[in-house]
Amino acid sequence: MDISKLHPQLLRVLALLFVLVLVVLFFSVVVDNYLNARLFNRVSTSVAIIAMIAVGQTLVVLTRNIDLSVGSIVGFTAYFVGQLLADHGDLHPLLAVLAAVGVGGVLGAFNGVLVAYGRVPAIIVTLGTLALFRTMLVEYADAGSITTIMLPPWLLELPRTNIFSIGRLDFRLTVGIALVVVLIFHLMLTRLRFGRRLYAVGSNPEAAVVAGIPSQHVVFFAFVLCGALAGLAGFMFLAKFGNITVVAGLGLELRSVAAVVVGGVNIFGGSGTIFGVLLGAVLVDLIDNSLIRWAAISEFWRDALLGMLILLAVATDTVVLRQLNRLRRHRATKLTDQSTEPAAESRQ
Amino acid sequence: MRHISLVSLTAGAALLASGAAFAQTITPKPGESADLVLLPKFLGILPFDQANQGAQEAHAELQNPGELLYVGPTPENSVAGQIEIVTTAATQGQAGVMLSNNSGDQIVPAAKAAMEAGVKMVTWDSPIPSAEGEVLFVAQVDFNDIGVVMADMAHSILGGEGKFAVLSATPDAANQNAWIAAMETALQDSKYANIELLDTVYGDDQSELSYNRALALVDKYPDMELIMAPTSVGIQAAAKAMQDEGLCDTVKISGLGVPAEMVSYTLNGCAPEFALWDFVDLGYLTYYTTYLIATGQMQGEVGETFEAGRMGTYTIEKDPTRDAGNRVLMGPFTVYTKDNVEAAAQ
Repeated sequence: MDISKLHPQLLRVLALLFVLVLVVLFFSVVVDNYLNARLFNRVSTSVAIIAMIAVGQTLVVLTRNIDLSVGSIVGFTAYFVGQLLADHGDLHPLLAVLAAVGVGGVLGAFNGVLVAYGRVPAIIVTLGTLALFRTMLVEYADAGSITTIMLPPWLLELPRTNIFSIGRLDFRLTVGIALVVVLIFHLMLTRLRFGRRLYAVGSNPEAAVVAGIPSQHVVFFAFVLCGALAGLAGFMFLAKFGNITVVAGLGLELRSVAAVVVGGVNIFGGSGTIFGVLLGAVLVDLIDNSLIRWAAISEFWRDALLGMLILLAVATDTVVLRQLNRLRRHRATKLTDQSTEPAAESRQ
Repeated sequence: MRHISLVSLTAGAALLASGAAFAQTITPKPGESADLVLLPKFLGILPFDQANQGAQEAHAELQNPGELLYVGPTPENSVAGQIEIVTTAATQGQAGVMLSNNSGDQIVPAAKAAMEAGVKMVTWDSPIPSAEGEVLFVAQVDFNDIGVVMADMAHSILGGEGKFAVLSATPDAANQNAWIAAMETALQDSKYANIELLDTVYGDDQSELSYNRALALVDKYPDMELIMAPTSVGIQAAAKAMQDEGLCDTVKISGLGVPAEMVSYTLNGCAPEFALWDFVDLGYLTYYTTYLIATGQMQGEVGETFEAGRMGTYTIEKDPTRDAGNRVLMGPFTVYTKDNVEAAAQ
């Protein structure tokens, strides 16, 4: 099989799968009792939350922007909805989810307005709102915290609910919800006009404007959706952890960016797939989860390894793509040579 | 009425103190002005909020015309934030700072500079390990006692035999580190010969990290039967993790927790025993101590005995759990089980 004929995105997905298998094999050798149903349960439930944030982050990164405030949005919505349910225990579950998505969307819109219409660089805006939303949470929480006893029973049951189990392998409802969300956004990016516009704005903003794409609106909605997804993740976060303090969701921005970059989304916008991001999220989480159990690695090195993984992903990305493009060009010139000079082959 | 009761209390305390020939009990003179700052490790968790309630209560009782500020860093900025707030307190000319130290000895330069600028630094909940830059430490309970209480809870839950692990807060938390060290010392006793401590991990006082660390411990040590979490955030997160994964029958949770947050886990058997002291009282006692020192009514030296409102009389002593430094010891400890947790949670 000729590697250069494969679509680069497909190649990346294959490479990620290959790395995933390698990681699992490696840890099953160095960690006792590693490969079991529990590993699947742990990683799948944890990815269910980070994947949703990473999908939102993808939409923003595709447009050449970044959202560093997602961790604070998750924390704020988790606390907000927790307080809402503590005050109104009989609130319909669907309304609670809608509240989470709504609050997240509003916070995302705040980012979106400043970036898209205010023309302030996204990294500056969202670095500001990272602190701003966290401070809002500290003020709103007023030194309090949400605990499981304040929450209605259905919410506490949610993370324990299985769709089905095979032996001790549980397929949790939260994982199902996350997969549906991932699928919806995969279809949106590949089938809808809005999806194609995200790519267009990111790969060449000037050309997108010339082509009549309302790129300001596109960027704005990317931030709104990213916020809404972070809000939904905040709801899942509340259901899973139950105890929400002002530190909730701290550092999720780094993890979501890691999943996105490792998953093959170009940080300069314009290319990447949702499926790749899902694999990126799984890989980051799997490594984090496994490193905890590997006695040889200290607490401090886990973060360092995550950082190295990001660097490695970006570096590989650049090198592989460059090589691939060179190969392509080479082939293209060879093909032109062949068509214009039919005698070339017989001469050799 | 209030005045009379204060006088009679003073008389009682004076009688008590007359046994110690060298010490005159100091009775706080209310109404002196001192701007004070209550500085927790970070804002937003229940125990610190309770300490603030206690401090506000004492502030009103002592009729301090100055201000009592409750300020703290945001959680992700705890270490740097505490240093900054201490530095700011010095430039603002605050009379005293009550600090629950989360920065280990990194706070020392800022704390010393503040003391030189005339700010009285009093630590509570978590001291400055080297005791440099603090007048004294208001200890919730004797740190060695916490070690023994944790070892005893482990002994009782494990039935005298078994393996357990510790889920702590941050790796630089002076108080948690001291308690874990005290527990390790306590475990040397032959009573605990069949109890093995497997590992210590850190959940950084974050629910999600603590939750995941607790599950990782379960995966890593299949024969572990107990997780000891000496932090109010860690203990609830660990209890929820065991409950969510249906592990409450095999792995129990214990440690230090707030009754209101732990009641459901204690009643359903996930966390059969845990312990804590009263944070409202700790805030109240810390305020009295700091007020006396900041208004010049007390020096903060070993042997000084003082009156702390509704809580009675305390004496400053050398802190036996650190190499240097003085302390005021509050106590006592309450161990919560299914028999008393509901009443305490109200």
